[in-house]
Formats: sequence, C-alpha cells, structure tokens
Amino acid sequence: MNDFITVYSGDLMRRIKSRPFIIGLVLGTLAIVALLKLPTMLAPTIVSQGTNILIVADAPIAAQARPLLSKTLTVRGVVPASTKIDAALLKRFDADNAVSIQDVKTGIRITIYAKNPTSVPSGRVRTALLPLQVQHATHLTNAQITAALDARVEVRSLSTTFHSVHQAEAAQGLAMTLVVFLYILVLVNSQFVMSAVAEEKTSRIAELLIATVDPMVLLVAKVLVGATLSVLQLLVWVGIGIALGSSGSGSGASSAAANPFSLAGLLGNTLSPEVIAAFIVFFILGFLQISTVFAGVASLINRTEDLGSISGPMVIPTVAGYFIGILAINAPSLPVVTVTSFVPLLSPFVMFARMAVTHVPTWEIATSIALNLLALWGIAWFAGKLYRVGMMLYGRPPKFAQVWEILRTPS
Amino acid sequence: MLSVEHIQKSFGSVQALRDVSFSIGAGSVFGLLGPNGSGKTTTMRTILNILNPDAGQVTWNGKAIDRAMRRRFGYLPEERGLYGKMAVREQIIYFGRLHGLHEPEAAKRADAWIERLEIGTYALRPAAELSKGNQQKVQIACAALHEPELLILDEPFSGLDPVNADILLAVLLDLKAKGATLVLSSHQMWQLEQLCTAYCVINKGETRATGTLAELRAAWPTRLVRVAPDSKALRDAAAGFGASVAGSENGALDLNVPANSDFAAMLRTFVGADSIVRFEVVEPSLHDIYLRAIGVAA
Repeated sequence: MNDFITVYSGDLMRRIKSRPFIIGLVLGTLAIVALLKLPTMLAPTIVSQGTNILIVADAPIAAQARPLLSKTLTVRGVVPASTKIDAALLKRFDADNAVSIQDVKTGIRITIYAKNPTSVPSGRVRTALLPLQVQHATHLTNAQITAALDARVEVRSLSTTFHSVHQAEAAQGLAMTLVVFLYILVLVNSQFVMSAVAEEKTSRIAELLIATVDPMVLLVAKVLVGATLSVLQLLVWVGIGIALGSSGSGSGASSAAANPFSLAGLLGNTLSPEVIAAFIVFFILGFLQISTVFAGVASLINRTEDLGSISGPMVIPTVAGYFIGILAINAPSLPVVTVTSFVPLLSPFVMFARMAVTHVPTWEIATSIALNLLALWGIAWFAGKLYRVGMMLYGRPPKFAQVWEILRTPS
Repeated sequence: MLSVEHIQKSFGSVQALRDVSFSIGAGSVFGLLGPNGSGKTTTMRTILNILNPDAGQVTWNGKAIDRAMRRRFGYLPEERGLYGKMAVREQIIYFGRLHGLHEPEAAKRADAWIERLEIGTYALRPAAELSKGNQQKVQIACAALHEPELLILDEPFSGLDPVNADILLAVLLDLKAKGATLVLSSHQMWQLEQLCTAYCVINKGETRATGTLAELRAAWPTRLVRVAPDSKALRDAAAGFGASVAGSENGALDLNVPANSDFAAMLRTFVGADSIVRFEVVEPSLHDIYLRAIGVAA
C-alpha cells in the first residue's frame, strides 16, 4: 500500500505540474467559458445589426405597421410614401434600413432599402408585418389574425421520466454535454496515461522502478492518476459551467434547453440523481477500461513516435461509443443502442445516454455494470501481462506471436 | 548471503541463461564478468526479481527474494534513466521514498549524497539538463540512498570520466565498509580488481568460472615463468619441466609451465644451466582468467 501511495502521489504531482495538463486544463476552461458566454456576449451585437428602421408608408398603413414592427425592431421614424429614399434620409433618422410598405390588391408590398445589405432584418420585418399582410388580403381584423397566428400546438407529457417537453429537451442537452465531456476526458486522459507509460519506458527509468515496485502497482497507480486528473478537470469544468449557468436568467430546465452546453440544468434538477450517479459510475468504468488497455499496449513500444500509430486503432471503440451515445440521446429505443449499451468499452457512453433520456429497467443497468466490471477484470489481466513483460522489452517492436506468447506465459 | 542456483531463462527461442550459479558472502564485493550478451544483465534482473527464472532459484540469506526484501536492495541498471523534467533533489527523494524512507529522512540523506557527489549546483535543476556523467551520479544516489543490504550495479563506471570514476570508487568502498554486499559488472578489469573480493565469469548464459581471485588462480592450469637471458641452455633445461615457450621479448624468455611445478627446483636447475639474471613466476591476471574462461585465449 505504501508503494502505491508513493507512486500515486509522485506521479500525480508530476502530472499536475506538467505543461500538457496545465495547458489542457486552461484551454478546456477557456473553451467552456467561450461556449457558455460568447453567444450571450455576441447576441446583442449580432441582433442589433440593422434593427433601426424608418417606416416609409402612407399614414393609415404606417399607423398599423408601427406597433407591429416596434415589437422586434427600433422604429426611428415614419415618413410619407412619396418621400425620396436615399442614404441621406437614413442618415437623418439615424436608421439602418428604410421599410417601404404599399397597399396592393393582393395585400401589401414590403420593400427594404438597406444602408448595408448584409445586415437586413428581412425575416423579422416579414414576420412582424404578417398580420398586416393577411389582413389586407383577407380583410379580417388585426386581433383575429394575431390570435390565429399565435395558436400553438400543446404537448402534454405521458412520460414518467419527464413532466414537460422543456424538461425532456433540457435533459437531452445536458446528456449531450455530459457525453461530450465523457468522450473528451476519457480520450485525452487515456492518451496521457499512454504517453506517461511510454515516457517511462523510453527514458529507461522503468527498469529502476520495476526493480523496486511491483509492475501491477505501477500500472494501477498510473491509471488511477489519469482517473484523478480526469475527475479534477471535470470538477473544474462543471463548476465553471454551473457558476456561469447560474449567473444567467431563467430556470434550469429552460436554460439547458436553450443552450445544451449550459449546465444550469443541473441546478434545475433536470437530471435525476440516479442519472448523475450513472454518469460517475460509467465515467469511471469507461476510463479505467480504456486507459488500462492504452497503458498495457504503450508498454510494448520503444519510441514515443510510435504512440500515434498504436493509439489510432485503439481510439476506434471510444469514438464508436461516443457516436452511438449521441445517437442514443435522440433515439434511445433503437436496437443498436439497446445492444451496445451492454457492450464493454461502448456501454459507458451508450447506457449513460439512454438513462439520461429514457427510462431504463434496473436489471439492464445492473447487467451493463456487471459486464463492464467483468470486462475491466479481463482488461486488467491482459494489460498487466503486457505491462509486466513489455516494460522490459527493448529492441524491435514485438510481433503478434510474441505478444500471444506473453499472454500465454503464466505470471 | 546471496545464492544463485542453476538459474535458466529463455525469451522465446533465445536462451539467455542456461545454467548460472554462484554465491556471495554478506558484505563482500562481487564482480560479474562476461562479454556483451553473455547474460550478466539477465542474471542481475533475475536476482532482483524483475525477471522470473524458468528454472533454478535465487535466495538471500536462505530465503526466496520477495517484494519486502527487494525494497532493501538497490539497483543501478546498465541503461540509465531518470525523469527528465523532475529536479535532481526531488528525484533522489522520490526513489528514497520508494525504498521505504520517510520524506524528511529521504531529504536529509539526499542532501548528504548531493554534497558527497559534488552535484549541489544541479540539485534544483531538471535532470535532463545534466551531463551524462552527472546524471549517472544522480542515479547512483537514487540506488544507494536507502543504504541497501545488496546493491547491484550494472556497468557503474561506463560514461564516467576519471575524476568521477574515482568519486564512484570511493563511494562503493565506503558502502562496502558499511557492510553492504555489492554485485557489479564492468569491462574495466582494473577497477574490478580494486573492489572485488570474488568473481563469476559468465559466457553464453553459463557460469564458466567463479571464486576469489586466489581460487581462480589456483584453478589456472599453468603459470608463466619469465627468465633471462633467452638462451638455448635455458630452453633445454625448461623442457625437462614440461614447459612450452610462450614468447620472447627484450632478451627474456616466457615459459608456460604446469601450475603444480616445483619452482624452487626449476630455479636451481636454471641457475645450473646458465648465468640467469631474472627468474619470475607470473600469476595469471583477472584479465587472463577472464579471456580463458570465455574461450578467447588459452
């Protein structure tokens, strides 16, 4: 146990102080901040582009149009239809666009004269003036038309998991966020574990370590350091997400639905405690499985340059798990989703995603966890065998037959 | 006492150790000799339990080597390695802790070793910034910080300049004086002769000779007798003792004679045969014994 603590703490401190970890943590944090804050920061600037308008219409139509347009745009003034429209006119009213409205037989004709044609709010003008268009075409009253246009489809939830569409959408958004986190953390930190093993082997310090400490202790400590750092990163990112999410307005569910990368939903109880617990359990299972395989295989290489070529094929199950997990969020009942939620290496992504968006029977969750634990045992055996021998194997990279021989040799 | 008994080890189709046996008394310094690829490193790794032997056994004080015992051993591998980005002092402390020292004690000893090895200037610098020789000194500190009962050093002098080699020699003699058992390999015979009390020559994975220098010499079948002048009378007289001419240089004649020859009688015979000015019985050197054991020279 003392050996483990020494190796674990030594390795952890080395990794925490290492440049790649610090850079990764800072860049990841900046990315989270950017994802959460940039849309809000940029929105006023983007939305306000071209929204100052001048209405060019005869008095009766202008009187009807002005309140409609004022809902979403800033009306700087109204001038008669006969007014000559040019840049000077827009400048005089400090407007970006002039909206000309004329009564024609089939309704109204809307023409926008833009100072800058790249920022014309034509969609908003059209939507705002839709009641006027319909009124002029059908001669209904304004109120009748507005009521008809405002009619919404009402959705009532029969699900036991979610009580409203908002809540379901929020859960989907959060599940998506967490699957992305799961993917990034597992992949990045597994590769860190892999490069740490390769570094110890290629720097030849491995022999000195193995002469002192049991190779399995080294392997387990290395994998758990990777897991600790992943949890640390996750806590930092989630903490920042929650802090930034809760500083905004709106309920948790609606915030999460509006922005899938907002973590405000966690505060709004969008995800149940069971789902959050599942995230932690499947995150740990997924990380341990994948990083243990990576560590075992990394012990076979002799040059850090070979890391890329060897990690390529090993990333495939993680990427596959991620994509099926994303699929599961939108279509949790697909047979491929159900089946892969029991397959180790894939199920940490898929089962969690299923649980986040639909009700999964307890026996399925228990079976998936049991299969993952069984697989973890097998992977640890496999990686331990490779690591024990691989760390002392120098020279030419081992051939498949040699690897097979290693696995067959009793410990 | 370290006892290595008939150990064998194969890697796939390559048989690295066929039959290696020797024993080392506690507190002695033991030289492991052999050409490159003879199995020295595999033997050392097997002693340290880094590799499990396919057959045979290794015991320390009569017991099979386990993890707890291994922590009391020290090892300097042939292929040196350090954490390049870790500071020298921190690194030495880390290895001390791996060998069971508490941090304050490890730090105290690390400072003493840093001073002794004259690497104080580099104590807080990353190991990668040090020269190869200074890195090697750091590794020696890492291996010996916990005052091991058994210290195994694979080619400890390689890469060291004469000044640093002397520092290392002094360190090893000091460890020996403190009662540590040392096992070391080197191709520098003179350094081994300065340090070692017993030897084992390995070739092609087999023990070819083992024992103290006196025992190895005793087992040597011939002796070299150097006599001058190189005259026909002396050559004829030598033939009566079963001697063969090994060479002639600077007026002296080198003769190979059986080790159990009566050298006093030989001297009397030579004095009677000619006016000799030189008679010397030359004991075989470690180098001679090594070459003969590996089958390169007779």
